[in-house]
Amino acid sequence: MYRWWDKYGWKTTLTILALSVAWLLKQTQATAIAETYYFLVSPFQSQQQLLLENKLTNARILQLEQRLNELEQQNKQFKELLDYAAAQPRSAITAPIIGRSADIWWNQITLGKGSKDGVAKGFIVNGIGGVIGRIIQVTPHTSRALLISDPHSRVGAVVTRTRHPGFIQGKNSQTAVMHFFTQVVDVRAGDTITTSSLSYLYPAGLPIGQVKSVNFEKGPAPEAEIELNVPIDLLEWVVIQPFSPKVEIK
Amino acid sequence: MLEINLNKTPLRWLYLLNVLIILGSILLCCILLLLRLPGLELFGVSPNWLLIWVVVWSVKRSVWRGAVAGIALGLIHDALTSPHPSHVLSLALVGILTASLRKQRYAREDFIIIALIVFVMVIVTETILALQFSLTFINPLENIRQYYQYRILSSATISSIWAPVLYYPLNIWWENLQKIERSKTKLGKTKIKGK
Repeated sequence: MYRWWDKYGWKTTLTILALSVAWLLKQTQATAIAETYYFLVSPFQSQQQLLLENKLTNARILQLEQRLNELEQQNKQFKELLDYAAAQPRSAITAPIIGRSADIWWNQITLGKGSKDGVAKGFIVNGIGGVIGRIIQVTPHTSRALLISDPHSRVGAVVTRTRHPGFIQGKNSQTAVMHFFTQVVDVRAGDTITTSSLSYLYPAGLPIGQVKSVNFEKGPAPEAEIELNVPIDLLEWVVIQPFSPKVEIK
Repeated sequence: MLEINLNKTPLRWLYLLNVLIILGSILLCCILLLLRLPGLELFGVSPNWLLIWVVVWSVKRSVWRGAVAGIALGLIHDALTSPHPSHVLSLALVGILTASLRKQRYAREDFIIIALIVFVMVIVTETILALQFSLTFINPLENIRQYYQYRILSSATISSIWAPVLYYPLNIWWENLQKIERSKTKLGKTKIKGK
C-alpha cells in the first residue's frame, strides 16, 4: 500500500484534483471564468467609443421608448376602457456585448450586465430592430443569452398580416427558418414576422424579421426563410427587457 | 539565460510556477474563446483554444494524462457553452489520440506537425459532436448541415494556424522544466552515493 502510494500517490491526487475542479466549474456554469473574463476585458473597452455608442443607442432607444410610451398610454386607456388589468411594466437594462459563443455549435452572446444590475434568467434581449434572444445564465456581472439565430432555439412566431402561426428555428447568424403548423398558409416574401402569443418564452408582438422566400413544396407544412431584422454580428449594445416566462426555466 | 536563472531556484518553486502557468494558460484559452478579435476569426469562427491546449499538453505526455486533461477541459468547455451534448467525450479522445501518436520520427518539424494534428483533431471532435447532436435532438440539424460543414472547416483552419502560438512558449517551458528536473534528480542521486 505504502509503495503504491509512493509511486502513484501524487499522480492520483493531482488527477482527482484536476477533475474535481473542472467538475466544480461545470456545475457552477463557469461563473468564475465569466467573472474573471469581465474584469479582464472591461478595461480594454474603448471608453470613448462606448460613450459615443451609448449616446447613439440611447438616442434611438429614447425615441423608441417615447413612441412606445405614447402607444402604451393609448393602449392603457383602451384597456382601461375595456376594464383590462395589466401588470405594471418594469424598466429595461442596457448592456454591452462582451463575448461571443465559445464554440461553433451555439449562437450565444455574453453580456456585461448581471444579477447585480437586475438581470435574471428568462429576460428578453432586444437589439435595434427587434428581439434577438433570451437570457439563459446569469453571474453577478455577466449574463449569457441564447440567440434566436441558434439552431436549437425555437420561438413561437406569427405572420403579422395573416396571423398564421408557426415556430422559428435559427439557421445561421442572419437567417432563420419558420415552420408552419398548417398546410395551407397565406404568406409571401416581404411579410413581417413577430413573436406569437402562443410562445411561452417570449412576450407576444416583438418584431423578429421579414420573409425572404417561401418553400411550399416542403412537407408536411410549408417553410419560410426569414431574414432577421437585427444585424446581430455587428451589434455592440443590447437592451434587456424584464420578462417572466410562462414556463419554469431550469 | 532563462535556464541558468531557473537552475538556482528550488524545484518546489518551479513546480508551483508550473501549476500557475498551467492554470493561467487554461484561463487565457477560456478568455480567448469568448473574444472575437480581428485576425483571430475566420468567417465568424474563432480558434478552438481548449482543443489546442489539450493537443499541446498531450503531445509529449502519456495517454492517461492526455485523457485526464481532455476530460477536465471538456467539462470547462461544457460550462462555457452548453452541457448537451457534452464536449468531454471528444476532448478526452483528442488527448488519447494525440498522446498515442508516434511523433519521434518527425520530431524536427514540430510546428507543422502540431498544426496538422490540430487540424485533424478539430475535424474529429466536431464530427463526434455532430453525431452526438444527431443522437440527442429529436429534429436533426438537417437543413443546416452545409452551414456546419463550412464552419467546421473554418474552425479547423484557424485553429491550426494559431496552434503554434500556444505551443511554442508552453513547449519551451515544459522542456526546460524537464531538463532541470532531470539534472537536479541526478545531482541528488550522486550526492546520496557520495555520502
